[in-house]
Amino acid sequence: MPQGPPQRDKDTRFGALAAIGLAGFFLVVLGLLRLQVLQHDELSRLADQNRIRLDVLRAPRGVIRDRHGRILADNQPSFDIVFRPAPIESTLRVRTVVASDWLARVSGAIDADSVEVRRKVREANRTGQTAILRRTAPYAVLVAVEESRSELAGLDVQVAPIRRYPEGVLAAQLLGYAGEINDRELTERAEKGYQLGDLIGKTGVERKYEEVLRGEDGAEFVVVNAMGKRVTTLDDVPPKPPVSGRDVTLTLDLDVQNALEIAMAGVERGAAVALDPRDGSVLAMVSKPVFDPNEFSKGISFARWKQLNSNGAFPLLNRAIQSAYPPGSTFKIVTMLSALNQGLVTATTHEPTTCTGGFYFGGRRFGCWKQEGHGNLDMVGALQHSCDVFFYQLSLRLGLDPLERTARAVGLGEKTGIDLPSESRGLVPTGAYYNARFPKEHWPRGLLLNLGIGQGELLTTPLQLATMTSVVANGGRPVRPHVVSGVQGVPTFKVEHPIEPGVQASAETWNAVHLAMRRVVEAGTAGAVRLPGLAVAGKTGTAQNPHGNDHALFVCYAPADAPTFVLAVVAENSGHGGSISAPIAAHVLKKVFLRDSTATAPRLPRPAAADTVGD
Amino acid sequence: MRDRFPPLDWSLAFATLALIGIGLLTVYSATYLPGAHQGLWVKQLIWFGVAAAVAWFVASIHYRFYDSLAWPLYAVSLLLLVAVFLFGVERMGAKRWLEFGGFQFQPSEIAKIATTFVLARFFDHARLDLRKIRWWFPPLLIAMVPFVLVAKEPDLGTASSFPAMLIAMYFWAGMPAGQLLLGLSPILNVALFFLTGSVWWFVGLFAGMLAFARPRLIVLVAMVALNGAVAVTLPNMWNHLHDYQKRRIETFVNPEQDPSGAGYQVIQSKIAIGSGGLTGKGYLKGSQKALAFLPMRHTDFIYSVVGEEWGLFGSLTVVLLYGIVVFRGFRLASIARDGFASLTAVGITTALFFHIMVNMLMTIGWAPVTGVPLPFLSYGGTALIVNCIQIGLLQNVALRRREY
Repeated sequence: MPQGPPQRDKDTRFGALAAIGLAGFFLVVLGLLRLQVLQHDELSRLADQNRIRLDVLRAPRGVIRDRHGRILADNQPSFDIVFRPAPIESTLRVRTVVASDWLARVSGAIDADSVEVRRKVREANRTGQTAILRRTAPYAVLVAVEESRSELAGLDVQVAPIRRYPEGVLAAQLLGYAGEINDRELTERAEKGYQLGDLIGKTGVERKYEEVLRGEDGAEFVVVNAMGKRVTTLDDVPPKPPVSGRDVTLTLDLDVQNALEIAMAGVERGAAVALDPRDGSVLAMVSKPVFDPNEFSKGISFARWKQLNSNGAFPLLNRAIQSAYPPGSTFKIVTMLSALNQGLVTATTHEPTTCTGGFYFGGRRFGCWKQEGHGNLDMVGALQHSCDVFFYQLSLRLGLDPLERTARAVGLGEKTGIDLPSESRGLVPTGAYYNARFPKEHWPRGLLLNLGIGQGELLTTPLQLATMTSVVANGGRPVRPHVVSGVQGVPTFKVEHPIEPGVQASAETWNAVHLAMRRVVEAGTAGAVRLPGLAVAGKTGTAQNPHGNDHALFVCYAPADAPTFVLAVVAENSGHGGSISAPIAAHVLKKVFLRDSTATAPRLPRPAAADTVGD
Repeated sequence: MRDRFPPLDWSLAFATLALIGIGLLTVYSATYLPGAHQGLWVKQLIWFGVAAAVAWFVASIHYRFYDSLAWPLYAVSLLLLVAVFLFGVERMGAKRWLEFGGFQFQPSEIAKIATTFVLARFFDHARLDLRKIRWWFPPLLIAMVPFVLVAKEPDLGTASSFPAMLIAMYFWAGMPAGQLLLGLSPILNVALFFLTGSVWWFVGLFAGMLAFARPRLIVLVAMVALNGAVAVTLPNMWNHLHDYQKRRIETFVNPEQDPSGAGYQVIQSKIAIGSGGLTGKGYLKGSQKALAFLPMRHTDFIYSVVGEEWGLFGSLTVVLLYGIVVFRGFRLASIARDGFASLTAVGITTALFFHIMVNMLMTIGWAPVTGVPLPFLSYGGTALIVNCIQIGLLQNVALRRREY
C-alpha cells in the first residue's frame, strides 16, 4: 500500500496550495474594493446613464389661418419610427451599428433603404440625439415594428406632430412648408436649441415666421432598459410639458385665393398677386406650377425631390416674388406718369411722329406692336392702345433719370419688403448702371426707347407690378405688401420703415393716368375685363424675353373710383397680355366683386394664336 | 459524543449549502421581472434536490470503487467528448452539450471528474518518482487529451481546468517545485511575451528559475533549447499571422479592446458591481440587472447581481464561503492518509478553485470572458449536479480520512 508523500512534506505542500488559494481570493477582494469603493461614484453615474434617458416631447407649430380664420396649416399626429441611441458611455450603440443583422431586420421592418438607415443611426450615435428613421409610418410598418421592437435595441415608435395643409396646393409657395432640419440649418441654429429631427420652416411664411410658429419642446426623463425601451417615467424630475407655437393670421382671403387659383388653372408657368391697395395686404398669391406641401411633412424622398426640381419648372419657386420679368407695356403707366409729372405732356398732347407701325432712330427701325400703325394719338389714347411709337418719342424727351426716379417711386427696382423670404429686387437701370456697361460712358440713346415701353434691362416681380398698380390706384400713396396681419389674434403689421415716398403729382396728372387705364379696359387692349357693373382700370403687357414666347401680363385695380383691389398677372411664354392675362383677371374680379358663382375658369387661347386684342 | 454523527466535514457542508442558498436567492432575483426566464429558481431548486441525492450517493460509496473504475470511466468520458463533436447541440457558436432524452448535459464536466480519478490513480503509483523525467509524460498525456477535446468545442474556460488540475496534482504528488516551474516555463514564456511584447522579461525569469531549481544537465539543456525555440519562433509566428488571427488573440488577451462583444458584458458587469457600493441596492432592487443591461445575469454573470444588490458586504461573504470550501478541500487532502483519496481531493478542489477564480475575475474585469459558470451560484442543472458530486467526493474523503 503506497503511503503517498510523507506527512511533513504534505504539510508544506498544503501550505503552498493554501497560499495560492489565499492569493487568488485576495485578488478578487482587491478587485471588489476597486469597483465598489474606489470607483463606486463613477460607476453609479454610469449606471444611471445606462438607464435614464431624456426624451423630447415635441411641441406643435402654430396654426396658420386666413383673414377669416379658416385654417391653412395645422398639425396632425405622426407615428414615427425612431432610433434612440444609447448613452455615450454605453457600448450598446457601437454594437447596434456594427451588427448587420440589426440593420437588416430594422430596414426590413420599416421598409426603408438600409444605407439610409445606417447613415441616420451613425449620425444619431455621434450626436446622441434621436433619429427619425421613418416619418408617418403606415399601419403595416407600425405593426411590424411593434412585433420586433423588444428584440431590436434602440428602435422605438414616437408620436410627434407634423404639419398638415388642409388646402393642399393652395397658396403653397406663400405658406411654404416645414420639414426636418438639415445639417446646415442645424449648425447655423445650434445655439437656438434645434435638434436632429426637429421640424423647421423651409420656405414661405413657415420660414419667415419660424421663430413665432415654432413651439418650445418639452422633455421628460424616462427609465429605459438595456434595449432602450421605456420602462417608466422618472419620478424625481417632473416632465416639462411642450409649449405649442403661436398662431399666425394671414391677410390672405381664401375665397380670393381660390378664385385666383381657378383662374390660373390653365397657366403652366406664371404668377399672380392680389393686393388691397389701401394697406398692402396680400389677398391672394399664386405661383405656377404648384406643389403639395403635405408631401414634405411626411419626409420627401430624394427621388421625388429630384423630380420636383427637374425640367426647369421649379414648383418650389414662388414666382410671385422670386421671378423677375420684363414688365412690357404695363410699364407705360410709369412712363406716362413720369412725363405728365415732368410737365412734358398733358392728357391731350400729341407726339410729332404719327404711328405708322414703326419709328426710326439712330439708323434703326423700332417697330410698334401694331404693324399697320395707330395713326396720331394723344397721351391718353396712346396708353389706351399701347402705342409704342408714341412712347418711343416720349421716352426720348423724358430721359433716363426722371423715368428711373418714377419707377423707383412706385416701388420697382427695390424689394417691396414683403414678409416672405428670398424676395427678388428686380432691376431698374440707372445711368451708373449703363455707364458701367458701355465704353467711355457713352451708351446709345436707343436703350431709352426700349426702357420707355418696359423692355430692355427692366425686370419686375409680379408683386412689384401689383405694388406699382397700388401706388397708382392710391394716387401716389405708397404701400407695403405683407401677408401676416396678426400673431395669436394680436395685430402685428406695422410699416417698419417707410418705403418710397410715393409719387407727388397733381390731380390732373392722376386723373389723366386713371382715365387712360379705364379706357384700356373700356375701349382698349383689355376688353376682356370690361364687366357690367364694375369699373375696372388696367393695363396689358406683352413682354419679349429670351426664353421663348412672349410673357402675357396684366395689371388692374377696381373699383376704378375707389380702389380696394389690385391684381397683377404674369403668364410665362403664353402670348399677349390682352388675350391671356386679362381674362384671368376678369374671372377673379367677377368672383370677388360680382359674386358670380357661375363664373368658370377662362379658357385660354393657345399661345401665339391670331392676335386681335393686341398689346 | 462526536461519533454519533458521521465524520463529515461540517464547515465544508455548511459553506456549500450557504452558497447554494445564496445561488437560489440570486437566481430568483435575476429572473424576477416578467420574461422568458421567470420561475427558473424553481427548476434550480429541483436540480438541487437531485444534486443533493447524487452527492449523498457519491459520498456513501467507498472511494476504492472509483479508484478501480478510473480508467473505464475516463474512456467513457473521452467517448462522450468525441460524441459531442458528432451529435452535440450547438448553442451560441459552441458545441458543448449532448442531448439525452430531452435532457442536456456537458460531457466536459464528467471528463473533469474522470480525469481526476485517473490522474490520482496514476500519481498514487508505488514506484512514482517525479524527479525522473519519464514519469512526467503519462499524466501530461492523460490531461491533454480531454483538454484538447474540450478546448475544440470551444470551451477554453472549462478546458483550462485540466492543466490547472494537472499542475496541482504534479505538485501534490511530490514533484520538486523548481522542476515544476521549469516544466511550465514554455507556457510562462508565451504568456509573458503576449503581456509585455518582449522576450527579455522571460529570460530574466528563466535565469532565476534555473538558479532555484538547479536541474540536472540534461534537463537544463532540454529546457533551454525548448524555451529558445519558443522565443525565436514566437515573434516570427506572430508576424506571419493574418490580421484577423492577431485580432482574435488580442481580444482574448484584452477583451475590452472589443467593446462590441465580450467587452460589453465586462463593462456592464463592472457597472453593476461598482454601483452596488458598500451595502448594495437591496435584494431584488438592482437596476442594471432589472433593466437587462447585465447580460447572462442568472448564469455566467450572477456574481455581478450579488455585487449590485448586496454590495461589498455581500460579495465578500460569498468570497469567504468559497474560501472555506477551497481551504477545507486542500485541508482534507493533507489530512487523508490514502494517496488516491488525497490526490483526488487536491484535483477536485483545484478544479473548483480554478472555476471560481476564472468566473469572479471575469466579472470584475480581470480575466477574459470564457463562459465559465460560478460553482453553486449560477443557474444550470449539470453544473450544480457536478459541483455537488465534487463536494460529495470531498466528503467521501472526509468520511474515510482515517483509513489507509
